[in-house]
Amino acid sequence: MTERNVIHSPWLGEIEWNPGCELLFPGGLPGFETERRMIPVEIPAQRPLVYLQSLAHDNVCFLALPVLAINPDFQLRLPEEEKAAILLPEDCEPVIGADVLCLGLLVPSEHTVKVNLNAPIVINLHNSMGVQCVSTGEHPGSFRLEENGRWEMAC
Amino acid sequence: MLVLRRRVGEAIVIGGDIEIEVTEISRTRVKLGVKAPRATCIVRRETVPIAAENREAAAILASHGSDGVREILRRLSAAADSEP
Repeated sequence: MTERNVIHSPWLGEIEWNPGCELLFPGGLPGFETERRMIPVEIPAQRPLVYLQSLAHDNVCFLALPVLAINPDFQLRLPEEEKAAILLPEDCEPVIGADVLCLGLLVPSEHTVKVNLNAPIVINLHNSMGVQCVSTGEHPGSFRLEENGRWEMAC
Repeated sequence: MLVLRRRVGEAIVIGGDIEIEVTEISRTRVKLGVKAPRATCIVRRETVPIAAENREAAAILASHGSDGVREILRRLSAAADSEP
């Protein structure tokens, strides 16, 4: 009998997942260093939202958006260490959508949400390895989702 | 803040069981090697506020729930609807 890969999320219910969908974060995420395995969950009616569900802890689930949905002019700057963490060649300038998926985690902010584009989640599409790329904030980072749907720079 | 000068190959020891060695120096960066007990959390300073943000992010579904997700989607749709 084939064992099912199932996780029970308090928010998404029972999720049966394919090992091929698994994302590996070798270093976890800042604050969640032991969260190394996650699956991306998309609900068609909720696109472009992406849930990042932990496979280790049912109650750890992040909500994310593709960065280009927030800032279409977003430029990814991936330092050497982060490239190495997801096994990208040093001389590779990854293209979002072709080489990497870039997501911003939604953070609660009063009655709305904000996203820090200076700390995107970067996933190597060729091997499903992920890392959170933390930059030192040379460019505007935090954006807040306003009532009219626009993303405005947050303080 | 205690400031010390070290050359490549030299190290400092913190608390008797954490050792930080300068392994390489380039024009703009220093490479450091850290030996510490396995339970010691070693992170780059700029990730500290991100760790706090991530903990807030992990609480979003508990704090906002399905109503909150609907509101996010409503706002995203509002932006899409207003585009030419």
